[in-house]
Amino acid sequence: MHIPENYLSPSTCAVTTVAMVPVWATAVKKVRETVPREKMPLLGVAAAFCFLSMMFNIPLPGGTTGHAVCGTLIAILFGPWAAVIAVSIALAIQAVLFGDGGILALGANCFNMAFVLPMVGYFIYSQLKDRIGGKNGELIAAGIGSYVGLNAAALCAALEFGIQPLLFTDAAGNALYCPYPISVAVPAMLLGHLTVAGLAEAGFTVGILAFLRSTVPSFGLTEGAASNDKAVPALALMCCLIAATPLGLLATGDAWGEWGLEDLAEMVGYEPVGMATGWEWSSLMPDYAVGNLPEWIGYILSAVIGAGLLVIIFRLLASMAKPQPSFD
Amino acid sequence: MERPNTEQPLPSWLTQSQVYQPQADRDGFITKSVLAVSSVLARMRLDDGAAAAFSPSAPIKLVFGLACILLVSLSRNYLFVMLMLAGVLARATLLPQRALARVAATAGAAALLALVVMLPATLLGQPQSALTIAGKALVSTGIAMEVALTTPAAELTGALRTFRVPNLFIMTLDLTLRSIVRLGEVALEVLTALRLRSVGRNRRKGSAMGGVGGVVLLKAAEASQQTHDAMRCRGFEGTYDGGRAWRPRRIDVLWICLLVALVVAFSYLQGLM
Repeated sequence: MHIPENYLSPSTCAVTTVAMVPVWATAVKKVRETVPREKMPLLGVAAAFCFLSMMFNIPLPGGTTGHAVCGTLIAILFGPWAAVIAVSIALAIQAVLFGDGGILALGANCFNMAFVLPMVGYFIYSQLKDRIGGKNGELIAAGIGSYVGLNAAALCAALEFGIQPLLFTDAAGNALYCPYPISVAVPAMLLGHLTVAGLAEAGFTVGILAFLRSTVPSFGLTEGAASNDKAVPALALMCCLIAATPLGLLATGDAWGEWGLEDLAEMVGYEPVGMATGWEWSSLMPDYAVGNLPEWIGYILSAVIGAGLLVIIFRLLASMAKPQPSFD
Repeated sequence: MERPNTEQPLPSWLTQSQVYQPQADRDGFITKSVLAVSSVLARMRLDDGAAAAFSPSAPIKLVFGLACILLVSLSRNYLFVMLMLAGVLARATLLPQRALARVAATAGAAALLALVVMLPATLLGQPQSALTIAGKALVSTGIAMEVALTTPAAELTGALRTFRVPNLFIMTLDLTLRSIVRLGEVALEVLTALRLRSVGRNRRKGSAMGGVGGVVLLKAAEASQQTHDAMRCRGFEGTYDGGRAWRPRRIDVLWICLLVALVVAFSYLQGLM
């Protein structure tokens, strides 16, 4: 679901980025108010879960691949606004270091995966949680919420792809950017996400949430300060996920809408001009690969670097945040 | 019976209301000096370094850190740098909050400086080399800071003794570290006194500032004489025991294996690109 560079026109990228600015501003304000300083490092661990879950590619019907995002998971644990910040930073690291998703398209990717996904997922979860009730009510609500949230994000991405050929064509009528119209993009994206990727998202969310609720109940905005010792099971789970990331290599093929220019030209019969002449960022570890090293080593290295960076960033943010002493 | 009036009228000079507003004076330089000295002192006192449960003994840590920095500098491509970056980040996640902030600030500043210096390379179409150099600066500084912040100062100087560094050198280092804290406290006291006594406009503040340096110098000379006398009194004959002998830990074996693995990885990765 990571929209690569040049698949969207610069104007679309600009509009989505401008749309995200007030969202980010509100999110920063809300997170300052709601997330206590001592919980910020845990938010970093949650962001690392999100980063790692995006590395597990799953084969989808139609020969493409998809992945979970775990945005709803962070929204359930720390609130939807914290999820906006966490997923946005994870997406920025992916775009800058690993070339996963475009730098110009970061606003669009954040809109889909860091805003629409956690907001929709959390809304559904909060509506269902109390209605279902029972021992597993929270987990069922989390599963349904994350499934719907991921599909809402996929729909947004498909619409962004789909409006490109309507708005931007050259004199010959060829698309300048993404060549597939809404009638192709929406079914193609949703087919994979409604069937497999949505279920994977629900599986990741419910699995990690159940694990955290049983081993580290203080992980999240629930009462009780979480010390580093208590978060050990969560860190252990993170290490297991890092070690398992090469499983994401089993799914061969590209995700829908993330093909290289040559592959796309082969499929549609021409090279969209805007894409061929567009600017592209040369990341240090494109596609989570490190030079000529075997792919699985590159994957594990990328996972360690990405997850480590996220944990460090959120710990540094916590050290910069003002202490909020309680005078009760 | 009439009580005698024992209340004396206030002297006239006391009844006058005084409005004394000291003239504003620029004393930002004193505040800055006080802050700088205090921050150095706070760092020397508080971040004395604390070894983690999995830390090797200080000599092994020193060798490991130096070898890593050497390998990172020698590597001709970014593969090994990436490998070490992953290691540095993984260690940094487990550092205490304050130490993490210092590592991030120092390593980040070094990387940024390297990137700025290498900016012309980016403009000439070699962005990769600029990123590699910045990455090397980040990793090397990160390793150095992590070694320094996770080792108590006494253990570090003790580690030098294991490497047969001359005792005179270790003694100088030990005494310097102790003197910095003591003389820093003196400087802080004198600066505070200067600040408190300069009410209003004080034209001689600048020259008084020079006096601070003089006082610290005199105190240093006095302290060194006293230290010398004290050491002679305790039977100092010119040989200095620079700390305890090296006590290897079990975990050292693991770290040595890791170092060997890193050297193997280094030689393998050099041949790849």
